[in-house]
Amino acid sequence: MTDLMKITYLDNNATTQVAPEVYEAMVPYLTEDYFNPSSMYDPAQRTHDAISAARKKIADALGRVDPKEILFTGCATESNNTAILGTAKANHNRKHIITTAVEHPAVIEVCRELERNGYSVTYLGVDRAGNLDMREFIQALSHNTLLVSIMHANNETGVIFPIEQMSRIAKQTDSAIIFHTDATQTVGKLPIDLVSGFPYVDLLSFSGHKLHAPKGIGALFIRRGTRCRPFMLGGHQEDGRRGGTENVPYIIGLSRALTLAMERREQDESYIEKLRDRLERELVEKIPSVQVNGKEAPRLPNTLNISFHYIEGEGMLFQLSSFGICASSGSACTSGSLEPSHVLRAMKVPFTAVHGSVRFSLSRYNSDEDIDKVLEVFPQIVTNLRNLSPYWDNEKNLPRSDALNLVK
Amino acid sequence: MDAVHGKPGTHLGEIENPDGVGEHGSIACGDAMRFTFRVKRHPTDPTQDIITEAKYLTFGCTSAIASSEALCGIIEQGEYTPINALKIQNSDIVDFLQGLPEQKIHCSVMGAEALEAAVFNWAQRRGVDLKSLGIDMHDQETEEGRIVCKCFSITEPYLKRKIRELNLRSIPQITNAIKAGGGCTSCHHVPGGLQDILDQVWAGETAAAENPSLVQITPREVKEDSDFSPYQFAKKVEKVIDEYVRPSLKADGGDLELVDIKGTIIYCQLKGACSNCMGASQTLKMMVERILKDQVDERIRVVEV
Repeated sequence: MTDLMKITYLDNNATTQVAPEVYEAMVPYLTEDYFNPSSMYDPAQRTHDAISAARKKIADALGRVDPKEILFTGCATESNNTAILGTAKANHNRKHIITTAVEHPAVIEVCRELERNGYSVTYLGVDRAGNLDMREFIQALSHNTLLVSIMHANNETGVIFPIEQMSRIAKQTDSAIIFHTDATQTVGKLPIDLVSGFPYVDLLSFSGHKLHAPKGIGALFIRRGTRCRPFMLGGHQEDGRRGGTENVPYIIGLSRALTLAMERREQDESYIEKLRDRLERELVEKIPSVQVNGKEAPRLPNTLNISFHYIEGEGMLFQLSSFGICASSGSACTSGSLEPSHVLRAMKVPFTAVHGSVRFSLSRYNSDEDIDKVLEVFPQIVTNLRNLSPYWDNEKNLPRSDALNLVK
Repeated sequence: MDAVHGKPGTHLGEIENPDGVGEHGSIACGDAMRFTFRVKRHPTDPTQDIITEAKYLTFGCTSAIASSEALCGIIEQGEYTPINALKIQNSDIVDFLQGLPEQKIHCSVMGAEALEAAVFNWAQRRGVDLKSLGIDMHDQETEEGRIVCKCFSITEPYLKRKIRELNLRSIPQITNAIKAGGGCTSCHHVPGGLQDILDQVWAGETAAAENPSLVQITPREVKEDSDFSPYQFAKKVEKVIDEYVRPSLKADGGDLELVDIKGTIIYCQLKGACSNCMGASQTLKMMVERILKDQVDERIRVVEV
């Protein structure tokens, strides 16, 4: 029983555990080196220098950009707010924004707020695989387009968008268009080179807690010369671009986490992808009427979004939780808003499957035993719920012949 | 350019025991000038002194040296009194040189600044009270102003004065003229930064269309006097691609898809064997764009999708 109750953490797109190396790097700045980096005395100068060194390492990890182009924030949401609202504030002559229907709320809600203030926003749709349509994107570009904000990879499905291509098309169409990407799910997981790989990306947001740094630290890359006003006003910190005393230990933590992730990236990627692929393959084999969302598109190696038709996700999470397994769902009951996942709905995943979706997201700290445990308990969980479902024929272990009519 | 080559007959050098000496810039900023002049002293009225000789020492690029040379030339030819010499503007230096590249305008500004400093120095030596003559000495501004551009140590009052004097309307113009904002660029859009100062100085005046779209991507861009409607334009582009582009691509096992047309921007995607070719975007740019420019409209640009 104790073994069963060991936590099996498969929700790494929500947050990650802090890496021991990261914790170790942070400790000195939580204990003896607590000084305000803006102060004059020598010990404060040490904390100041530590931030500079951390900034340099992060800049190097993103393709050896200029450290001055890295801005520290409190979280990816703040980075996204700064990028979008800051760009709008600095460029009054354009009032059109292009984003996608599947962005994180930290982008969508900021765009909606600008819409309420007279901006027009194009929300690009996705196809059933989760891919964007380049033709629709090109048609949306206009002489009034201020900003294009496209996430690098989707948090729910792991589908990767062609940021290099889209930023290039936008800039070659009109070099005054500003290109932002929310790379919260990809920094540390995919190679990101802002000099040779993504030369047309002006702004890139990410946070620490998705890559084994703690919650409470984010960053924004602002390419030199990009017109963007500060979001958080206050002191002279970050060259006046973000007020507020620097969060020294967390900045050190973010830097350590990113260097660690980049050092181990290739080895982690193949390790995690093998685990994910095994989980996916065996779940599909063992359980009838399932679909893997985003399977046909380029996808993050750590994410599995899988739908079990005719049952509800919250019920699955509840039972998983009783075995110590942590995952999440696109079901309305888990979202707090009574609305099922906007991402899966944009992908036209049928209603019978949207509510029955479960997202497993892995990290380097998962193992084959974690996967074994899910595979051991999950088929029974699905069977239990399908026994309850009015749409399921338990004798044939198939949807009832009239199930689709019942849904309508 | 004789001065650069160390030839004689230039104003290179420093006058011993000068009547006025002024400096501007610093080695940290990348250019600096030391300007000295001698006057023929008027026996009774120092304000009637005439500048007879001017020399310079300049650390900087060729444009900076040329500007210094020009300044000395203008002054010696014009038989200026020091007070009249204050009227020499950087634009006079630019005119004397028959123009300077945009990004080198600051070289001429440096000349005008060094001259001004030298005149103030002369006034001090000769006991002339310039303030009583109604001349603004700007002596407070570098010491007491808030530093806006940290890279080049440029203060807010100085910036405001120069923005007005030189009629600077955008951040690139400021950078070209007085270098402010040309380093780390972090002062551009922060509160109290260059954009805010520009807005303050020109408040009330209708701001010139800021950051105009470099490319008007509206159908209007198709020549108004051209015979093509957007529909005909698209047809013509397709026809040219069919006739001149496709055959050679197909010969190599590839093809080209016309994705969209916006104004004079043609969006294309290479297909088949060409789509994996490393030189694909070069192919599009060089070949397709050239053919379309020749056959349809010189303003056409091709963007690879």
